[in-house]
Parts: sequence; C-alpha cells; structure tokens
Amino acid sequence: MRGKYTKFVLLTPALLVVLVITAYPLINTFTLSLREWRLDRSPTPGDFVGLDNYVRAFGDRFFWNSVQVTITFTIISVVMSVVIGLAMALILQKPSKLNTLVKTTLIFPFAVSPALKGFSWRFMLNPSWGIYDTMMDAVFPFASDVVWLAHPFWAQFWLAVSEVWGWAPLIALMFIGALGSISPDIFESAKVEGANNYQLFRHVTLPLLRPVIVIITLLKTIFSLKMFDQVVTMTGGGPGRATQTLNYFVYLQGFRYIDMGYASALAYLLIVALTIFAIFYVRALSGEGI
Amino acid sequence: MKHKVMKRVGWAFEKLAALAALFFILFPIFWLVLTAFKPEKYVYSNAFIFPPVLDNFNAIFSGNPLDFRPNFANSLIISSGTVLIAVPLAVMASYVLSRYAFKGSTPILIWVLSTQFLPPVVVVIPFFVLFRRLGLLDTHISLIIIDLSITLPYALWMIKGFVDTLPIEVEEAAMVDGCSEFQVLRHITVPLIMPGVITTAVFAFIISWNEFLYALVLTSEEATTMTVALLSTLTHRGVQWEWMSAAGMLVMIPVFILSMTIRRHFVQGLTMGAVK
Repeated sequence: MRGKYTKFVLLTPALLVVLVITAYPLINTFTLSLREWRLDRSPTPGDFVGLDNYVRAFGDRFFWNSVQVTITFTIISVVMSVVIGLAMALILQKPSKLNTLVKTTLIFPFAVSPALKGFSWRFMLNPSWGIYDTMMDAVFPFASDVVWLAHPFWAQFWLAVSEVWGWAPLIALMFIGALGSISPDIFESAKVEGANNYQLFRHVTLPLLRPVIVIITLLKTIFSLKMFDQVVTMTGGGPGRATQTLNYFVYLQGFRYIDMGYASALAYLLIVALTIFAIFYVRALSGEGI
Repeated sequence: MKHKVMKRVGWAFEKLAALAALFFILFPIFWLVLTAFKPEKYVYSNAFIFPPVLDNFNAIFSGNPLDFRPNFANSLIISSGTVLIAVPLAVMASYVLSRYAFKGSTPILIWVLSTQFLPPVVVVIPFFVLFRRLGLLDTHISLIIIDLSITLPYALWMIKGFVDTLPIEVEEAAMVDGCSEFQVLRHITVPLIMPGVITTAVFAFIISWNEFLYALVLTSEEATTMTVALLSTLTHRGVQWEWMSAAGMLVMIPVFILSMTIRRHFVQGLTMGAVK
C-alpha cells in the first residue's frame, strides 16, 4: 500500500522518544526500588533486596507524615481552586467592561513559574516586612503574632493558597468556557417558571456543569499530587516536616541523602496514587462516567 | 422599591467581587515588579511610594554580586532546543495519528496522554543516574532531553487537535493530483495549521522555561537555568528580596511577551483539551 512506509517514518521518531523518555524511567526506577543503593557508598547499584525498600517505607513515620501532608495539601488546594474558580466564573461571565478586563488577566498567575511563585509568596508572608502579613494583621488583629510560615498548619495553608493563586483563575477560564456552551434558553425557561438566582444555580447550572466539575477536580488533584517547586522555594519542607509532601520527600531521600533505592521505592508509591486518579481522569474524559 | 434596592446591592456586590478577583490575581505580580525597582532601604518596609532605581537589575547583571546573564542564556538555549526537537516530531506523528486511524492509534494517544501524569521526580531519578554515568550532568543537552518528557506528549496532543479540525478534502485532492503523504504534509497541512503549530511551540517553550525540578537536580553550575538561579539570591543575610524580584521579572517577561502573542489560544493550550 502506498505511503505505508512514509507513515511509519513520520510516526516512529516521536513515539520512540516518548517511549524512551517515559518507559525507561518507569522500568529503571522499579528495578532500582528493589535494590540497595547508597550513592555515597558505591557508584553502582548494590544487591537486590526484594521489597525491603517498600517495607521500610511503611515503617517510616516520616513517610507517613509526607503522605498526610500530601493529602492535606491536595484537599485544601483542590477544594479552594475549584470553588474559587467556579465563583470567579459565575461573576465574570456576565458581560461588562470590568469583567472583560479581569478575564484578560486570568491567564497571568498560571504563566508565572511555580518556583518564582513560591519565592514571591514567601516574601509577602514575611512577619516583619511581608505585605500580605501586614494586610492580614490589619484585618485579623488576633493573628498579628502568627508567623505564617513558621506554623505547621498555616504553612500548609499558604502553600496551598500559592497553588490556588495559579490555578483558580485558570479553572475560572475553563468554567467560563463551559458556561458559555450552556444554551441560554434553559436559563430563560427556568426564570419564566419563577426560579430565583440561588435555585437557578443549584438546580440548573450546577447539574449541567457536573461533568466539567468532575474533570477539573480530577485534573487539579493530579497536579496537586505532583506539586513540588513551591515546597523548595516557599517553605523548604518546613517548619520541621510540616510541608514535606511525598514528592519533596522522594527528592530529599534521592538527592539530599542520596539513597537511590529507597527514593525509587517511594517514587513508585507516588506513581500508584497518581495512576488511580489518572485512570479516573481518562475515563471521565472519554465520557464513560466513573 | 425593595426589589430595586436588592438589585442595587446585587450590582455593587458583583462589582466588588470582580475587583476582589482582580486584586487577588494581579497583586503578587504587581508587588514583585514594584519591589524590583525599589532602593534597598524601601524593600523591607511596605512602601508604595519611593524613588525607582535600576540598582537591583545592575546587581544581578553586573556580576557584582550576581550574574544572571549565563542563566538567561542557558534557559534560552534549553527551551529553544526543546521546542526545536519536540514540535517537528509532534507535527509528523500527530499528522499520522489524526489522518489514519489504525488499530492501536487510540491506545497510543491515551498512552501519550497518560505520560503527562508521571511525576517528574520519578523521571529524574533514573536520568540522573544515566547522565551521571555518561558524564552529561550539568549540560544543556541533558536538560533538553529530559524536558522532552514534559513537552513532546503535550505538543503531540495539541497539534493533533489542530490537524483534526482541518477538512481532509484539500489533502485528498492533492493526493489525487499525485502528491505523496510527505508532500501533502509539508506543502498543504503544515502551512494551514501554522497558527496552531506556533501556539504549541510557545507553550512548549514556556513549560520548559518555567521548569524547575529537573534543572535543580541535573545542573549545578554551567547549565543552571533562570528558575534555579533564583536560589542564588539567598545569601548569608537571607534572601535578598530586591534581587530576587528583579531576577523574577526576568523569568516572567519572556513568558508574558510570548503568551500575549498567542492570547486567543491560551486557554485551549493550557487545558490541552482537558475540558471539552
């Protein structure tokens, strides 16, 4: 058949690169996870130790700490991003000059490098000269003694807020797109029936948006589980271990304590968690429901 | 009457909410830009009014005490290199995947999509080991290779979306006239989807430009990118926020310029068809 060879030539290079760059780490990390390998003691991987690294993880309270931090961070950041994003979309969808202006700025926070995002929020939350710290003190006088990033819960909270800053406006854009595709007739007929704004939202908008909300929530969950950069530049995992997400914990084990075997096992546990959400996401996208 | 008051209140509430959103979105960027132009003594107070100076840019460019020029060049080289490899490969493959549904094309697409969910920390461990063995740590090429893992799958999906929207009749007519697939792709399809290709290239560039973890692990001195070099504003006196802000502006400016050029496609690009 004509062109079969051409198709092969066109398709292969990209797929080969994707294969090498993703399958190689998947396989290699897995074999490393079954071996003992402290990079400071030996330049080459050591003996196979079976599932020892995994067993070690389950007995490591710092691992469990990182799991808990990851879950807390993910819940706060996902809920806030989706709720604030939806609220922004509902406000901004009505045509007005101000709303048009705000809509054009929605893309900005997401375009800021996450590493820089972490730095700039850390600056603004500084207890002595941070502008956000000053504003919070003015609004909540009882919080004036709180050093935001030195407090375990608040450090997690603000880390999540820095993530929400990037994502909520982007999610608002996605919702504005979805709202625009709902036929205005539906709203009109509901209004004729005498529905007020709240009823309109609760019984018309929300049910219609449900599939989009599911997809956005899953997408944001995946990205929250992957979040790494701001931990380094905003909190450094601290105070103590209060913001050591699983991602950051893997990084610490692998590149601070250079324990490659253990880091690989931890990385695999992260993959398992992400795979579950990714499967839901792909299924939701292809419209099969969950 | 009561109805009218309610309407007024609702109107005021909507305006206030929109203004609050605007503040939430822009303030961190505004504050960073402001700080970048502040003389040192105004940085550690919440001053809005001050005599603007270029001292901080001088401090991070002159080599005294910091020199971000090599880092800026590294980021440019690595991001451009990544785009120049990822985009042509993605155009070729997505053309076939879009035009010729064969057994296995859907699984291939889902596989390519799912690689985007791989946590970067998983990818970086074996590549760190590999590059270390090959002596490629702290080089541009090692970062270009690993950045392909986040840009190529993305570019492939984006460009496939653009090819999908193109009516196939034009290509069929050209085929009847005796053009080969390769000629059709080069002389008909690519020119028609050029806006889409450029959008994709810009996004791939931004992804690579903002990348942090890979550069943090794989570079130490020679090939350090802008995002990692931000860490060098940390001195024994703590982070020098006026330098960090000036350097941060340099990280943001190229991204903003590029994203303005493709603003219309921005949302679509960011969401990669995540929501249809």
